[in-house]
Amino acid sequence: MSVIDLLINLIEVFIYPGVIFVVFISLLLEWVDRKVYARAQNRIGPYYVGPHGILQPFADILKLLAKEDITPGHVERLEYLLSPMLILYLSLVGIFMIPTGAWGSGYSVIHFEGDYLLVLTLATLTTVFMFLTGWGSFNRFGAIGSLRALLLIAGYEIPLFICAAAVILEAKTLCLSKISAIQGGGIWFLVTQPIGFLVSLISIQAELERIPFDIPEAETEIVAGWLTEFTGRKLALMRLANDVKLFLFSSLVVTLYLGGPWFMGQANIAIFLVKVLVVVILTSIIRALFARFRIDQALSVFWKYVIPLSLIQVIMSLFIG
Amino acid sequence: MCSEYIEIPVGPQHPALKEPIRFVFKIDGELVVGVEPRLGYAHRGIEKLAESKNYVQNTYLFERVCGICSAAHTTCYVEAVERLLGVEVPPRGLFLRSIIHELNRIHSHLLWLGILAHEIGFDTLFMYTWRDRELVLDLIELMTGNRVLYAYNLIGGVRYDIDAHIESQMRKVLSYLRERTEYYKKIVEEDKLIRARTVDVGVLKRSDAIILGAVGPTARGSGVDMDIRRDDPYSAYEELSFNVVVYKEEDAHAKTMVRIDEILESINMIEDALNKMPSGPVYVKTPLKVPEGEVISRVEAPRGELLYYIKSNGTERPERVKVRTPTLANIPAVCKMLTQAYIADIPVIVASIDPCIACMDRITFVDVRKEKVYVISGRELREYARKWYKGVKK
Amino acid sequence: MSLSMVKELFRTLTRKPVTRKYPYERREIPERFRGRIVIDYDKCIGCGLCARFCPAIAIKMVFVETEKGKKRKPLVQIFRCIFCGQCSLVCPRKAISYSKEFELATYNKEELVLEPKSSEKG
Repeated sequence: MSVIDLLINLIEVFIYPGVIFVVFISLLLEWVDRKVYARAQNRIGPYYVGPHGILQPFADILKLLAKEDITPGHVERLEYLLSPMLILYLSLVGIFMIPTGAWGSGYSVIHFEGDYLLVLTLATLTTVFMFLTGWGSFNRFGAIGSLRALLLIAGYEIPLFICAAAVILEAKTLCLSKISAIQGGGIWFLVTQPIGFLVSLISIQAELERIPFDIPEAETEIVAGWLTEFTGRKLALMRLANDVKLFLFSSLVVTLYLGGPWFMGQANIAIFLVKVLVVVILTSIIRALFARFRIDQALSVFWKYVIPLSLIQVIMSLFIG
Repeated sequence: MCSEYIEIPVGPQHPALKEPIRFVFKIDGELVVGVEPRLGYAHRGIEKLAESKNYVQNTYLFERVCGICSAAHTTCYVEAVERLLGVEVPPRGLFLRSIIHELNRIHSHLLWLGILAHEIGFDTLFMYTWRDRELVLDLIELMTGNRVLYAYNLIGGVRYDIDAHIESQMRKVLSYLRERTEYYKKIVEEDKLIRARTVDVGVLKRSDAIILGAVGPTARGSGVDMDIRRDDPYSAYEELSFNVVVYKEEDAHAKTMVRIDEILESINMIEDALNKMPSGPVYVKTPLKVPEGEVISRVEAPRGELLYYIKSNGTERPERVKVRTPTLANIPAVCKMLTQAYIADIPVIVASIDPCIACMDRITFVDVRKEKVYVISGRELREYARKWYKGVKK
Repeated sequence: MSLSMVKELFRTLTRKPVTRKYPYERREIPERFRGRIVIDYDKCIGCGLCARFCPAIAIKMVFVETEKGKKRKPLVQIFRCIFCGQCSLVCPRKAISYSKEFELATYNKEELVLEPKSSEKG
């Protein structure tokens, strides 16, 4: 392939809509999340850093990068050191498969049949690495937190995959870009699969470890859960990874149910970003509205209510499709 | 399961605790099988300090035992000294004292409601209750000049009188607070998530509550009907009509409902006091030297029964002051509640007794290992320390 | 989840936040507030009651040169003051009062000592 193609690929991967763009948007989304959460509580949220506090997440990451990075003596070095980086990289790779509408095309940077399943697998892998890092950090609180993270997978993975099956049945394709293109030409899957939308939204809250499912990181119970032993650069990477995952999952929901970057036959990145913004605001409101579940209660909610709902959705989509 | 349990320390620094206290939990999976409390991190030597100051200075010292229930501490101390002196406080002063006491209770319970919400991860409710608490603090500032540590109770009465402007402001704020508290009551009763975290959590049976000596809302949430304001009235409580709130369910949810209902009762009590307020002076001068004698005085602090014992020897300084705070009486009860509980419930259970560790740390340790009780003077202790560290290079 | 919580949440989202943007916005200080201590040394008779009753032992009586010879006046170490108000209660000539100043943090301890200056009167 020619040098021009190579150059275009490099730009796509690293700059737009690649790494730098994704990091930039994720930090902005963190600002939106914090502002909405604060306003729901009658507070201001970030205000002073940049106009209306928009640069606050950037300032936080920069500050953390400058802090001292302490590695406790007894840790399992491989898991403890590699996992933060791997979590960030896996999430970034996941985003390459989401059709963002960049360069006016409805296709993602990498697309093939089955990339939807790859995205979901990468998401689970990040949680496995979260477990490894908490376990390897040789800290009681880290151990409890990582065990809880693993337990939670038993709750949210299944409905997420079942809803994926429902969408695949209706769209008859395994490629995310084609799924969003089909909605661009027809009606959004939000209308034909509202239960699936709801179930996905709930499962995403658990995947991202946000209230009401922030059990692995419950501040008042186990200090910081599996994050306890992180300082300095590693903590900065982890926080960035959290934000990138927020972007990844909201854009997944947008692609599956809200038509991706398509609107009135056109694929535009601005449309895509607006839809992601709506989903993020929704999740922030959910975050403000609920208390935190206990781990056994969370699992029972998933198995008693969420999974049956997703099964109903699959059966319904069999008849629609 | 292996026979060795994992031990999890909570404290002295922990995000779940607002004050330093150490619990060591023995856990088996998610279940707590043993608790070992260790107290004393907030011990400040206040009782000893009180022996070197005169009675007037001690009023301000005992106010600072606890910032949240400071009105209760001053009320108890001041009533004890007045009883030793044999002075009669004018009735208007007594009513004002009760008003500040109830305002203190409202602010303490609203604060506690926010803390409980924060412990279960419900930060939104935390922010709302603390926003409403600001109104109470502003009201107190209007009355006394300060939001925390009011310096309002004096031996012989209270410092300031209230005028019509303060009274009308108080009535406005109280009726708004009543609305908000009814709203919080509805949320705590109905919200499924709050119920899931507090119902059947931290169960303290009625018989255990009585045997272990639980006091205050901890006991009243388990069906024990005791309240010093009714059983042993002080200040103006004989003239005010109120109900004692008792719930029978014995869990953390019952304790929460007890405290919310107490806020409503306090609002009623303050309005009752404002209606029945007699006129007259609010303060009477008292002599500085207190005649010899001993006295015990008890009040119903927001957390339970607060007890002061004062021994005077005829001079202007007390010979001994002993403070027994309600949180100390609740610690055996909380240890009982914590066994056979889940780790995830630990913050809720500890928060349900409304711990005020600053109040609590006032115990002396007895050296059980050497099986003797002894007193060391300061000089001997310093000599001992110097000999111990002799030879340690600086 | 209760419906009333949802209604409240949406109402709060549209309301102005209650945060006060201190130090750019300050609130009004009520009348009875006890800030930095202010002593009117002309009214003071040097009885020493304030020093005797201060719980924080922040007031010392020192000798000051005046027209009528050496007199005892109080010197207040404001960094020890607990703002309780006992000194003004006990002063027989009402010479002690409080300003509304409460932002007293400083790098220089000498700023927080109120010294009686040698005055022309007594």
